[in-house]
Amino acid sequence: MFASCLALLPRLPLFRRAILFFSVVGFLVPGQGTEIPAGLAGYADHVKPFFEEHCFQCHGPEKSKGDITLHSLDGDLLAGLELERWELVLEVLKSGEMPPEDELQPSDERKSAVAKWIDAGLREAIRSASQVAPEPTARRLTNFEYQNTMRDLFGFELNLAEKLPEDPHKPYHFNNTAEFMLLGPDQVDRYLDNAREALASAIVDPGEPQVVRQEWTFDPRGSILAESQPDEVGVYGTRRGTVGNGVVLKQWPERGEYRIRIKAAAILPLGHDQVPLRLVMGSHLRSDAGTGDYEPVGSVLLKNKVDDLQEFEFRGRIENHPIQVGKVTDKGQLPSTRYLYAQNLFDNGRLNDHRRNHLDNDWKFDAPRVVVRSIEFEAPVADTWPPHHHTRILFDSPERESDPEEYVRLVLERFMGRAFRRPPSAQELERFFRLYQMLEPEFGTLEATMRETLSMVLIAPQFLYHTVAGDGVTIADYELASRLSYFLWGSMPDEELLVLAGKGNLKNPAILEKQVQRLLDDERSADFVENFSLQWLSLEKAKAININRDLFPRFLYTVPNGERRGQEVLFRPTIRDYMLQETSGFIAELIRGNRPVLDIVDSDFGWLNEPLAAHYGVDGVKGIGFRRVPLEKEDRLGGLLTHGSILVGNGTGSAPHPIYRAVWLREAILGDKVKPPPAEVPALSDTTGESAETAVSIKDLLRQHRTQEGCNDCHVRLDPWGIPFEEYNAAGQFQPVVPGPGTRIPRFSETVHRDLQGYEEALEKLLTVPVEASARVPHGPEIDGVDELKNYLLRDRAEDIVRNVTERLVTYGIGRELTYRDRYAIEALVKEAQGRDARWRDLVLSVCLSDLFLFPSPSTPDL
Amino acid sequence: MKMKSWHLNRRDVLRGGGLALGLPFLNGMSWAKGLAGEGRPKRLVVSYIAYGIYDPKTADGKAHEWSWYPRHDNGPITLNRASAPFEPVQDSLTYLRGLDHAGGYGLGGHSCGDVFATGADMTGPEKTNNISVDQLAAKVNGHKTRYPSLVLGSEGGTGSYGMSKTLSHAGPGRPIPALKRPQEIFNRLFQPYANKTVGDVRSELKREASVLDLMMENYRSLHGKLGAEDREKMDEYLESVRALEQRVERTSRWTHEPLPEIDSEGLNLDATYEDPTEYIRCMYDLLYLALQTDSTRFATFMTESEHSTGNLVGNFANKLFGYTGATHDIAHKRPEEASGLWEKWRAEQHSYFLQRLRDTPEGEGNMLDSTVVLWGSAHPHGSHSTRDYPIQVAGGNRLGFRHGHLHAFDESRKVPLSNLFVSMLNAVDTPVEEFADSTGELTEILG
Repeated sequence: MFASCLALLPRLPLFRRAILFFSVVGFLVPGQGTEIPAGLAGYADHVKPFFEEHCFQCHGPEKSKGDITLHSLDGDLLAGLELERWELVLEVLKSGEMPPEDELQPSDERKSAVAKWIDAGLREAIRSASQVAPEPTARRLTNFEYQNTMRDLFGFELNLAEKLPEDPHKPYHFNNTAEFMLLGPDQVDRYLDNAREALASAIVDPGEPQVVRQEWTFDPRGSILAESQPDEVGVYGTRRGTVGNGVVLKQWPERGEYRIRIKAAAILPLGHDQVPLRLVMGSHLRSDAGTGDYEPVGSVLLKNKVDDLQEFEFRGRIENHPIQVGKVTDKGQLPSTRYLYAQNLFDNGRLNDHRRNHLDNDWKFDAPRVVVRSIEFEAPVADTWPPHHHTRILFDSPERESDPEEYVRLVLERFMGRAFRRPPSAQELERFFRLYQMLEPEFGTLEATMRETLSMVLIAPQFLYHTVAGDGVTIADYELASRLSYFLWGSMPDEELLVLAGKGNLKNPAILEKQVQRLLDDERSADFVENFSLQWLSLEKAKAININRDLFPRFLYTVPNGERRGQEVLFRPTIRDYMLQETSGFIAELIRGNRPVLDIVDSDFGWLNEPLAAHYGVDGVKGIGFRRVPLEKEDRLGGLLTHGSILVGNGTGSAPHPIYRAVWLREAILGDKVKPPPAEVPALSDTTGESAETAVSIKDLLRQHRTQEGCNDCHVRLDPWGIPFEEYNAAGQFQPVVPGPGTRIPRFSETVHRDLQGYEEALEKLLTVPVEASARVPHGPEIDGVDELKNYLLRDRAEDIVRNVTERLVTYGIGRELTYRDRYAIEALVKEAQGRDARWRDLVLSVCLSDLFLFPSPSTPDL
Repeated sequence: MKMKSWHLNRRDVLRGGGLALGLPFLNGMSWAKGLAGEGRPKRLVVSYIAYGIYDPKTADGKAHEWSWYPRHDNGPITLNRASAPFEPVQDSLTYLRGLDHAGGYGLGGHSCGDVFATGADMTGPEKTNNISVDQLAAKVNGHKTRYPSLVLGSEGGTGSYGMSKTLSHAGPGRPIPALKRPQEIFNRLFQPYANKTVGDVRSELKREASVLDLMMENYRSLHGKLGAEDREKMDEYLESVRALEQRVERTSRWTHEPLPEIDSEGLNLDATYEDPTEYIRCMYDLLYLALQTDSTRFATFMTESEHSTGNLVGNFANKLFGYTGATHDIAHKRPEEASGLWEKWRAEQHSYFLQRLRDTPEGEGNMLDSTVVLWGSAHPHGSHSTRDYPIQVAGGNRLGFRHGHLHAFDESRKVPLSNLFVSMLNAVDTPVEEFADSTGELTEILG
């Protein structure tokens, strides 16, 4: 895994770590003698000689370390050229990163004078550059935004985004920028398919629907010899003929909402007070086999006992559940089916421990069981008919009879106003009216013609793109309404926002503030937090890492018996899923409680459920629901740095990976830009990746890495950041002792270790050497372990972290990368945040109230 | 609800699903030739295997008997145990060692599959992927067949950045979703009109065309009101709608050509991952039929992606010979026996496809002679290296390729893999001087 070597470059577009330095040096040591005259004169007499003395040796005509040279810069910043490079120079000077520690150092006065000269020039250049062409603002909806928008536009949710080509994602970048949101023919084609699907479901045909019902009941009294009764669902899959083995749905309407009612209860052994039940529906569902193509129906926490059976109701859209197409046999094609399957999701993090054999029954009865006495399926159901999603589009109106043409116009206007997130222009309305007229002869009915016409509305650029158009087509307030809702919900503005925009007073700070708070309080903001954290923290990797199941036998759930025994259970939430929920749930909690931004470094609470708490070794957390859990120092869990999603994603699946973890810390937390290794650098041997079974000292590997010329320049500034994380293993657990060098690590074997408990004990005996987690970070102290790392970050890097979070929020909110031109706007936001203790919710609010957000990039049609 | 013709949208029309048209069938080749008004079709196929190959070092410097490479260094090919399945087509094979895409260096071993057929530098200035070699050929010569190209993949769809499940890209940000279901592929290729008459299909296409005209008008009026930089951005929407228009036009034109007659004897369109051999062969059969009927001339097939652990394709080795882990684990642990069996199985499937081409006479030679087939991986061995892709080139003997050797491109001779792409493109009448980071042609394998 050392194939990728990484070089370092401070993040280009923006400054870091600047203010602290500035306030100390700029104000405490003002000295007349340190002032450099502005402009070219100052450059020739002061700045250039400084560069010659301290920089050109490595960044000049002879060498260009990090691909940076300074000798070609000219001293005229106002010319507007190479301002990014000037910003970079300013940044490394201010942070003290350059000149390197082992080179001759200039005096602080001189360094700060040069920094001040650059800063002043840059500020002036940015001010005078307002004429420069703005960044593009037109970008298509991301798949995430598209899915949510379709849901809110129609009032029910179909799984549509999964039929689109996946959006690109790039580590540590948000993908909602114009640069990433490209569009190809195939995509428009699929948008059209999706639009037609959605409208076929949204607009129903006249008349009453034919309702389909099916019911199953389960006998509580099966064989007394059987280990569980037909109405019971145990933790491990189940036997034939019991409710846990699934029921077969034989018919259903093609479209519509369904209702499933179950009578259920819990069997709760001593020490348990609840058991989670999940219903899933799809094709080929079996606990011990099958492909597991399914969609969840819903979950419920059962607390009632069997003598108190209760009814639970679930609703969903039948369209979303995969169909198992009937096989072709000698007798012809068998009918298609859908499997409905009840799962007992109880999980104490020790489920695999009992996989030894299927006769290991005692424990089975120690675990809570689910009882399902009956299941009833009915579809389509609606509180009124036609359903609300139909009348929302084809509403009741006298014009429907008296003036059909006018009625069509009214329907179009209302729908387009919501789909375009602004009222349509008269011209736009007329065009789609013409489309309706064109389609009507062929489609016949109002319903059918409207379905096709509105499908076309949904492939219009006005729907698919965020745009800022002039000429009265879009109005600033509507744009703002959309920007707010897509930032904080990832979806279209609701009625309230659109009405406010229509009145033209959304820019009123008091109203705007109230709306931001309302949007954050709405449950839709969970979508924002999840999407934002996933990309900001680059959590995607955690889903793809293959965990070494020999070393971490409790990480994935394995099938206890049957032909797939020992393989991964295909459809059951795992620790990995819970880890991702932990991270986005934690961030959501920070926003909800307006917690300090720096809680991401360390916090006195975590966001856990029982299986995850068991994985981390935190006691006293019961049940599958996530909640805020107070943490003690010895839990070693506060903040984001120790989240499993991050440690697993930046490991190899067998071993920790200090380089990946270092990159993560620098990119996601400190906001640095870590450059990938140059192409010509040879790969280091892949020892950790291949030798899962043999222990190696990571420090030795890194040392070897740093002795190679070409690697050292960058790695000397990178590797130390990853070393403190060595205390945490590849599965995200605190593990301060490791096997000695060269130790063979045995695989789990039933004959040798009997069970996982025995295996764990055998592994523990091998852990003989304290892990080496100590390193001196560049320009910082010696740091031993994650606790010290956190202390250092809180003490010395707080401002960088606040700035980074601010920039992330702004970038995500306005949908474009920041440039050097945003430098001073960000600086103002950071100052404001620092002044108020830098809290999450406050920060989101100030971002929404900032000029950057209100006027992201004024775009005027050229004349 | 009464089923009216409009229930079938254009996509259904293209995908089909049901009976074929009751039109007189002609031999596929003859109508294609008539339309193109030119000589024998020249074809290009790219096929991909994931998680690298088995290529252990041996003491004597020769290839291991179970190595994917039949020999270690330069010289004429003598097959080993893993490559033995290629014996019947041995004269049409070249192995290349030491070639790769510089654009993939920054991606990591499991992400290089993204750029295998494109050579794009996704970590550099391009940021997204770029056009693939098959699509460039299709751009130039795709109009000569009913379908410009065929894009297959065992896992289907596009995948995402760094986790591609397709080899084909129409350009930046335009991955082409791979098809994975045999029945769907068959219908789409050979029964494109479902159960409708040609008349129905044509009038529907006509309506589609007028609707698209209106959509274009709508686009233009919005476009005129955008800022200059946004206008540029929105051009991709224009291109996309235009491409749809072109497809309507193209489909319409091809309704005047009879559909090819298919001998589907022995074709198991219900093949699933449960039987990997059956499934992969069925996909190769469909690919063969598409070429044989001249329905298309350019195709890609991602037999596995670099991220198959989340689905059953990642368990093929388990299904086939009971290997206990995912296929991916073979690459990491490299047990000799499982690695060898796995290489041999992959060789058997690919050789099956090559043999079908070789066994089909065409003019004075056979189909393989006018089809250049690239087979390989962007992930050489278990160590996530992004260098030295394992590459096999087959066929195209009448397109100027000269076979029978392994060519090793070590330090001093190293050239970009894209040089091979340039040669392949030129061989199929797509004149290019460069592709991605190429520096010229790969003269070593040109006769």
